[in-house]
Amino acid sequence: MRSRIVLTIVLFLGLAGGSAARDSAPVFKTAEAKHFSGVEGVELTPAFYDYFYAELRSELTKSKLVSEVIGEGEAVEDADADKSVVITGTVTEYKKGSVVKSALIGFGTGMRSLKVDADVMRRSDKQNLCTIHVHVKVEPNWNEKIMARFAAQQIAKDMKKEFGTKR
Amino acid sequence: MSLTKDLARILALSMSVCTLSVRAASDEPKPKPENTVGVHLSEPVPPQKFDHAPKFWITDVIDRSGNPQPMQVLKSRGGMFLDRQPTAIVREALEESLKSGSLLASDRSSADLEIRVYLFHFGLAEGSGVDFFGKVEFSAVVKNPKTGETAEVKATGTSIAKAAARKKNVQKNVQEDLEDSLKDATRNFLRGQQLREAVGLLSKGADAASVSNAKP
Repeated sequence: MRSRIVLTIVLFLGLAGGSAARDSAPVFKTAEAKHFSGVEGVELTPAFYDYFYAELRSELTKSKLVSEVIGEGEAVEDADADKSVVITGTVTEYKKGSVVKSALIGFGTGMRSLKVDADVMRRSDKQNLCTIHVHVKVEPNWNEKIMARFAAQQIAKDMKKEFGTKR
Repeated sequence: MSLTKDLARILALSMSVCTLSVRAASDEPKPKPENTVGVHLSEPVPPQKFDHAPKFWITDVIDRSGNPQPMQVLKSRGGMFLDRQPTAIVREALEESLKSGSLLASDRSSADLEIRVYLFHFGLAEGSGVDFFGKVEFSAVVKNPKTGETAEVKATGTSIAKAAARKKNVQKNVQEDLEDSLKDATRNFLRGQQLREAVGLLSKGADAASVSNAKP
């Protein structure tokens, strides 16, 4: 009986180790995140886009989906272009929110909100591999850069969900 | 009598203003060995490969940040300072990296291309408040000394580091953050498509100039 339990534990550990090893193998050689742009009417500072760019790169590195996260405009070896992606995107909506509405009504009213569309393209042939839609809501008195952080985390998570299964 | 009273009031007011300004000045953090850090590249960044590898020479690194205290990285928590000017740090990073790829000329006269760097930002930028956002941004003017032609190359490096509660950890995280953003900016410059295009453009100009000089 005891030996069976030990065997089961060893089997589970082996499986867990195997899946961890599979998870750590990156899908892409390189990923280039571009500075996102805002559609007309979106009032966000250039500092916001700079921070969002930095956060996205940081989250992509953490996701271990790519071997190397390169900077904007960096050259890639021709041999690696087929396994490299470029991430572009647009901030489609930004609402500042209202502290008064949030305090008086509550239930999510008056929240600060951000909608972002991101496209993941293959570098070699510019084929769109997937489009990610992100909607982030935070308290109206929070810093807008917190939203950038959450949006970047969500994009990296969605990419992992999309491409992690295709490993 | 009223004049004397007014004078006394003005004197008292000016003295209190002086006292406040002296107190404010004493609150300004000062560079000390314990709050000064050195920022260096952990290892040189290998530059991209060029068809006809030119030799570069960095003529100047000019601070265009408009920051009155470029060596002060952090004002809160007793302040944090760099041991050298950011211009010296960027120059060292670029020279070391060019040298590692055998692209650094031994002197200015033997260089094929000269680089003048304008540093726009070096240090921490405004982040979300829950982390440190390091940013290095510069623009380089690459010049062919033979033809006088120039091309502009922009480079940016960013890095995000965790916030910390202890002063020691804050210092460590900020230092790592600055080093990472410096590495990122150096890499962005040396491996950028813009530099490749600039070198291609300026080399073409040099070829044309040498052909025209050869003609009688």
